[in-house]
Amino acid sequence: MAPPSGETLLIGWLLLPYTAAFLAALLPPLARGLALLCCLATGAVALAIQAGALPASLSLLGPYGVSLQPDGLAAPFLLLNALVCGAVVLDSWRRTLPGPFLLLLMVLHGGLASAFVAVDLVSLYVTLEVVGISAFLLILGSRSERSLWLALRYLLIGNTVMTLYLVGAAVVYLAQGSFRLEAVAGAGAAALALLLVGLLTKAGLFLSGLWLPRTHAEAPAEVSALLSGVVVAAGIVPLLRLSGVVPALAAVLPVIGLASAGLGLVFALVEADAKRLLAWSTLSQMGLVVLAPAAGGLYALGHGLAKAALFLVARRFPGRDLAGWARRPLAAGVWVPLWIGSLSIVGVPPLLGFFAKAGLDRTLPGPTGLLLSLLTVGTAAVYARLWGAPLQEAAAPAPAESAWSPGVLLLLAALVLLGAAEASRSWSPELLPAAAKANLVLAAGVGLHRLLQPLRHRPWFRLPDLEAFPDLVGGMGVVGAGLLVWIR
Amino acid sequence: MDPFRLLELLILVAVLVGFVGLLLRRNLFLKVLAMDVMGSAVVALFVLVAARAGLRSPILAAPLAPGAVAAPLPMADPIPQAVILTAIVIGLSIQALLLVVITRLARVDPSLDLASFDAGRLDAEGRR
Repeated sequence: MAPPSGETLLIGWLLLPYTAAFLAALLPPLARGLALLCCLATGAVALAIQAGALPASLSLLGPYGVSLQPDGLAAPFLLLNALVCGAVVLDSWRRTLPGPFLLLLMVLHGGLASAFVAVDLVSLYVTLEVVGISAFLLILGSRSERSLWLALRYLLIGNTVMTLYLVGAAVVYLAQGSFRLEAVAGAGAAALALLLVGLLTKAGLFLSGLWLPRTHAEAPAEVSALLSGVVVAAGIVPLLRLSGVVPALAAVLPVIGLASAGLGLVFALVEADAKRLLAWSTLSQMGLVVLAPAAGGLYALGHGLAKAALFLVARRFPGRDLAGWARRPLAAGVWVPLWIGSLSIVGVPPLLGFFAKAGLDRTLPGPTGLLLSLLTVGTAAVYARLWGAPLQEAAAPAPAESAWSPGVLLLLAALVLLGAAEASRSWSPELLPAAAKANLVLAAGVGLHRLLQPLRHRPWFRLPDLEAFPDLVGGMGVVGAGLLVWIR
Repeated sequence: MDPFRLLELLILVAVLVGFVGLLLRRNLFLKVLAMDVMGSAVVALFVLVAARAGLRSPILAAPLAPGAVAAPLPMADPIPQAVILTAIVIGLSIQALLLVVITRLARVDPSLDLASFDAGRLDAEGRR
């Protein structure tokens, strides 16, 4: 028998998570193994794409059918999907999970994998809705009244923007007779604005992403790790693909990205809660991912791995309030991941985050590069707030679960090893000044943190609450109307 | 005015009405209903796009006799119809999920007023 062709392998890989989820419903004891198998398969596909062993594009069911593009742009996102989902499965290996957690995780994993490779508007719509519904059910996991409300809010907002997205898709079809992404370029400003409202909201960018902090901060720790690590990327990948084929978007997207980075940063600097600080930082970092499509994949990979590790250890924080943070010692299993993860996001060599940031810096023109450095100083000041806690010295009385979570270890190992791989691949003398700059930025960030710390007690040092439901819908409306006026 | 344009305009007004309802209504159930108004308007839009070419369903009624030529009737475009069928199914399941959550939330506040859930007020009660 001949070996299966690349196309067969790809289709089998895309179907695997759904088959596995179905099988896990019938045979629950197999669920963990099946979930790990799905993650391994996705990781293998990501590596095969990097090695060029798979077809770079795939068209099913004729010219109006499903078109997939498992190309170099999708590869880092697929690797991110595999590592974060795998880490969440490993992290909860010894705990009993609420209800159908693993089953939903597999569906979410499959939906994300399809969303990263889909290149027509309709397949994207379906995969984004699959991702949205499974994330909604995962947030519902704890069944508290609070999570009911957050999940309702998440799905209501998500479905509303996807409805607007469908209107945009209809206008594209009316003008161009096709649902492919390339057709968007000739379909006019209104269609592009409607599609963008959908994708920007899903990606958690700028005012349309205001739903993100509360949802990510209040969800259970594993779900937060999934949401902040990979689920936001489901909106990012289509945005990056679109900005490659639509010149009007390539001009608009960096501005929205910078605005989002600034907005998230300011709120993260003022925030008083550790998990909400991480969530605001996600909003800010996603803005940096969309600055340059060429470097965005690696940046999203670096950020997603680190943020997922941070959210996974957030479950073991002694308290979430940042006011007394420096007085509460952290166990080594929390303290070390907290430092490594946040140093990677700040971009300190030799972690993956440094190479991602250096790659982004190379592709940006002068003034934007300067802004990026300033934003990174702010990011360092945000994470410096988490570095105040001392390391717990004596071993705590034997806790119920082991001190180190295997999932967090996987993510940290990925950050270090991928950093080393990137170093050996892209080594050049130019990286030395970049490393010096990263250390300078870190020092400036710590300085800014010292400067801001006394101000935090003042009553005027706070920002308006923009996260009430009318604000979220209003934010979407403002972004949509702004895009309609702005895009030519 | 071209009837196609007029219908298109009416549908876009319905989308806008749904969006404003989502923004202004204080009751959660009415918010979900407003979202459904938007969803129905999109279904109408796709049906309208499909009907641009013709009104007849693109299904062959009976096998043609050999040698016979099908009457050149204008057929509707099947692609948007197929797309919106998928979207209707997704929309229906999302509605169902949202309504289930709303029935659970009605235990917190039977009047389903937004203010009892929003702005962190559930924090104090929800973590009792």
